[in-house]
Amino acid sequence: MDRAEKAPTYVIGKRPAELDTEDIDLTPVRTYWQLVRTRFVRHRMALISLFVLLALLIFAIVVPLLTGNEYTHAQLKTIGAPASLSAPLGYDEIGQNVFLRLAKATQTSLIIGGAAVTIIVVVGVLVGSIAGYVGGAVDNVLMRFVDVVLSLPVLFIILMIVSFFGTGNVTVVVIAIGITGWTLAARLIRAEFLSLREADFVQAARALGASHLRIVLRHILPSAMAPLIVAAALGVADSVVTEAALSFLGFGISRPDVSLGNMLNNAQDYFVRQPFLVLPPGIILVLIVLSASFFGDGLRDALDPRQRIEASE
Amino acid sequence: MTAVRTYPTDLVPEAAQTLLEVRDLKTHFYTNDGVVKAVDGVTFSIRERQTLGLVGESGCGKSITAMSILRLIGRPGKIVGGEIRLRDKDIMRMTEAQLRDVRGDQISMIFQEPMTSLNPVFSCGDQIAEAVSLHEPVSHKEAWNRAVEMIGAVGIPDPARRAKQYPHQLSGGMRQRVMIAMALSTNPELLIADEPTTALDVTIQAQILELMKSLRERNKMAIMLITHDLGVIAEMADDVVVMYSGKVMERADVTTTFESPHNPYTRGLLASIPRMGERRKRLEVIQGTVPSPLNLPTGCLFKRRCPYAMPVCDTAPPLQELRPGHVSRCWLTAEGAAPTIGENPSKELAEETAKAMTVDA
Repeated sequence: MDRAEKAPTYVIGKRPAELDTEDIDLTPVRTYWQLVRTRFVRHRMALISLFVLLALLIFAIVVPLLTGNEYTHAQLKTIGAPASLSAPLGYDEIGQNVFLRLAKATQTSLIIGGAAVTIIVVVGVLVGSIAGYVGGAVDNVLMRFVDVVLSLPVLFIILMIVSFFGTGNVTVVVIAIGITGWTLAARLIRAEFLSLREADFVQAARALGASHLRIVLRHILPSAMAPLIVAAALGVADSVVTEAALSFLGFGISRPDVSLGNMLNNAQDYFVRQPFLVLPPGIILVLIVLSASFFGDGLRDALDPRQRIEASE
Repeated sequence: MTAVRTYPTDLVPEAAQTLLEVRDLKTHFYTNDGVVKAVDGVTFSIRERQTLGLVGESGCGKSITAMSILRLIGRPGKIVGGEIRLRDKDIMRMTEAQLRDVRGDQISMIFQEPMTSLNPVFSCGDQIAEAVSLHEPVSHKEAWNRAVEMIGAVGIPDPARRAKQYPHQLSGGMRQRVMIAMALSTNPELLIADEPTTALDVTIQAQILELMKSLRERNKMAIMLITHDLGVIAEMADDVVVMYSGKVMERADVTTTFESPHNPYTRGLLASIPRMGERRKRLEVIQGTVPSPLNLPTGCLFKRRCPYAMPVCDTAPPLQELRPGHVSRCWLTAEGAAPTIGENPSKELAEETAKAMTVDA
């Protein structure tokens, strides 16, 4: 009986006071970046990866900054010396401080990964968007070129470039990885452009009088970002691994410079006597690769404005 | 013509200047299967502040005509002939840069699909502001304020809030309103509305049409309304162009079109509208289907489906002027009888006659 009395009485043409629409939609509209942050934080693995990457970054910047080129100091008396306060990871086979070398190696690998991915993204977006947007013969020529690059055995091309232009040079390694790795990004971008070019909102932008450049940069590229971000994240991981492989084969970075691959290469000779030397660079490598992928994954989801945030706040 | 009905025609002063003139427009598509003549010799004009309705079945070339006016035809299509004049400017001879100044500024367009015509990654306000700043030297802030103002003008409550929202957060009707706001934000002289209400349900349709009417008065603009809904035409248009398979079948003012149509195709279209309170066993339909654009019949394109078809229809019928302002592409005389040359004249005679009877405008 109580409930019947409380139920709002509906009168045609009149709104019951209990259902006042004025107080339905008062939640403020969150801006795009607020939503991105919320969505990213939701993605737990991505969040952890972000912290891991930040920690590695700080490690790679701060330690070499404080110690200068101390990582190159080799001493006979410290060969194979155990961990101590000044060398938390001990000393390696020629008496260099493993901890300092590890920090420098992380720095080198991250620089190579970042720089190579920049090349991959820039070239990939350029080629992919021109091919996808212009289409026709231009598309055909560019994509056949991509096919040619893809059909080449990447590692051998890189080895060739590196051995031709000088081993142990970071710039050469970066360029070698960059110019062989952009094909995947180009293909992804082209595929996105091909479909987005015909999208109604692109037609609408054209009917509004937007120029080609504006349509490409403002209307198509943001929608094509999702696969690009994933490709870039995987590209970072891939470049770091490729560099490690190069250095492992002795074509990448070599002493006195240091990279993760180079440390692994040096450690393999002493794997039986001093297996601990493999672990630090190996673990850092795995951490970089995994966290870069997860971070990219989370970023893609977070940047997509169509992704909904579930009600469970 | 017994009943006296008032149509919006009466509101348009006859002396209004011609805004857009399309003459003998031909847009063909070069497909792997052959040439599709999507628009084949279409002629019409729109006066200032006039609403022109373009009607026809799906695939008759309505949308292609609209896209051709803005020269938005992409491969494999090509405008192969004709003239498009906007006041004293020749759109066909414009450079890409000049075209961009016309698009969205003097001529705006709204599309059929409000669900997909807005960019999903930008907020509604951003997109309208972009349309403004493309054509006017305004600051970002001014453009945004205009966007908010326009969102309010199209009847969306709480415009400041809505402007910050993304297309997927709005309903279909609201998105179409945003599209209209975007199209009108630059105060165009001509609005091309390509089936603006097709994707919406009827109550929203009525609201959108009402909105377009009031904005037409407010902005003093002309509208080219493309639709296959004759109800919408009756509601909105001053003049009507009926298209079939890329050709104009009949062109007249709206009163004539609805009360004394001449072309059998127009009559067929009107007969297939269900009427309220009318008891019929079956709804009348036009027999058959639209001919494949790759395999058009010779002579009259409608002859296979036409209840009045005669042997003379194997020759392309003339586009004859029945009264000033009323043209129809048919062999029938103004009274609906067989042509004066008889039902089955020789091919040469028919061709000569068709040529003589065809009017240009």
